[in-house]
Amino acid sequence: MSQSMVEPSALAGRRRRARDRGRAPFVLLFLLPAFLFLAVFLYYPIEETFRIAMTKSTGMGSEAYVGFDNYAKLFVNEEFLAGLWHVFGWAFWSVLIQLPLAFLVAFSLTFYANKLTGPLRSIFYLSNVLPSAITAMLGRFIFAPKFGVISSLATGLGWKWLGSVDFLGNKDLAFWSVFTIATWAYTGFPIIYLMARIEQIPAELREAAELDGATGWRYAWHIVLPDLNYPLRILAVLCTVGSLKLFDLPYIMLTGGPGNATVTLGITLYRHGFINWNYGKAAAVGVVIFLLSLGFTVAQFSLGQSREGEKA
Amino acid sequence: MSQLRIRHGAAEVLATVLLVALAILVILPLLMPLMFVFKTQLEFSYHPWAWPKQIRWTNFAEAWKAVKIDQGLLNTAIVSLGAIAATLPPSALAGYIFAKYRSRATELAFYAIMVGYFVPSLMVLIPLYKMEVATRLNDTLYGLFLPMAAFGIPFWTLIYRSFFQTLPADLAEAARIDGAGHAGTFFRIMLPLAKPATILALLLVFIGAWSDYLLSLILLSSQEHFTMQLRVASFLNAYGTDRMPKYASAAVISAAPTILLYILGHKWIIRGTLAGAIKE
Repeated sequence: MSQSMVEPSALAGRRRRARDRGRAPFVLLFLLPAFLFLAVFLYYPIEETFRIAMTKSTGMGSEAYVGFDNYAKLFVNEEFLAGLWHVFGWAFWSVLIQLPLAFLVAFSLTFYANKLTGPLRSIFYLSNVLPSAITAMLGRFIFAPKFGVISSLATGLGWKWLGSVDFLGNKDLAFWSVFTIATWAYTGFPIIYLMARIEQIPAELREAAELDGATGWRYAWHIVLPDLNYPLRILAVLCTVGSLKLFDLPYIMLTGGPGNATVTLGITLYRHGFINWNYGKAAAVGVVIFLLSLGFTVAQFSLGQSREGEKA
Repeated sequence: MSQLRIRHGAAEVLATVLLVALAILVILPLLMPLMFVFKTQLEFSYHPWAWPKQIRWTNFAEAWKAVKIDQGLLNTAIVSLGAIAATLPPSALAGYIFAKYRSRATELAFYAIMVGYFVPSLMVLIPLYKMEVATRLNDTLYGLFLPMAAFGIPFWTLIYRSFFQTLPADLAEAARIDGAGHAGTFFRIMLPLAKPATILALLLVFIGAWSDYLLSLILLSSQEHFTMQLRVASFLNAYGTDRMPKYASAAVISAAPTILLYILGHKWIIRGTLAGAIKE
């Protein structure tokens, strides 16, 4: 018995030694390319962002240490505050409008699963893969005055009140025009994500609900929705972090205008850094974006842990 | 089951009709430009919504010249292929180590790479730009796809890692006993088995690089290096929607590769997107 105990462990030891030969250099060699990329394009720039944010720095190359001056100035800067306000408004309305819409579509698609489900899912996701320049172009075209889709159709129908609305030039409407296009472009992701989650709900639950005479809506409300608690919270965090990084659509459609009506944090950073060539301020905006998204990501992870806790 | 079906009858029909209507609404904006690309500017001004009377290709030809679409497509293709070539190998190598050579040191390295996953690329734009100007990397196509790859590597390392984790350890063990070295095992046995992950990465990195706007806007400055997306956006800003027929033609050409790729690979693209999202 002792012999049979010794033999395999000795064999395993020999095997492990064979496996370990050249292990360390191999591991280093395989990790090297990834770390080279990150060191040059991420670690170094991250450190630089924090440093530049503490300096008065222009495109001409002069740099002077100013402490937290840039941050202090940001919080009295009208454009930055507008960006901050829009980003949070954007996140709020995405969660309130896009997620319920996505849930309705995802639930109906999975509940009434038939031959159309697959193709419909692919169609709903299609607009998510379009380049944002194309999405912005379509948005401009839908809302443009005179030749725009809404204007020309309304004029054709004789609805003067609608035909003369300036969706892009009006400060109160511009945000909503961009938001509408974003809803068209980005709701596909929560739809496919929720569908994947709903499909994981055991079929027995649904059969039991149907035997109890529960209607589709009651099944959705009492069984499916509670089960989606965690994925919905994840999506809410993704919406928020996505809003913090928002740049392409409002910039290509309206360059943040009219005035500051569609400015986001990303656009503020771009304007400070690459239009006014004020690197210090732009880097400070970058740090703010980083800290906010870090905050939300940590929130996401602690949500994940509380979920593990619930299960245990 | 069939009984249940019948009971749903009316509701199912209604829901399906609503969903199909919504799908048409989603797809309609994409079809709209096709109404304009065959019209002259004059026809468009008078009857923007009338059915085109005749199929003309002149708008495409003119847009091709005005926007220099060939140059744009070539630049975008170089950037996309470059991004693939620079993203996939480092990610696959690192993902393999994190899956199959786990130790305290590699765990630490893994967290160091994941830092990149949580840092928004917006944050590092200023130093990135300064660095590229200092090293004259700015306004070159490789100066664009290299940082693009760097921003993608953390995510794809994560995907490769979880894919390699699903491959049984016995396989590598057997190869090792047959005398294959560490690298031999990876290149001859493990990497070919990771083909699904590689296909996902190929598709999604390509689409991401093809669609990029912000990095290109900041890093490229001369017209001849402009990618398709920059050209479409600057055309929009120069002419607004007034030159719609020409503009729509440029947009159709610029969107076509993504849409074609989606039609061919939508199942893979959706699967890959979900695989990434559920990992988070």
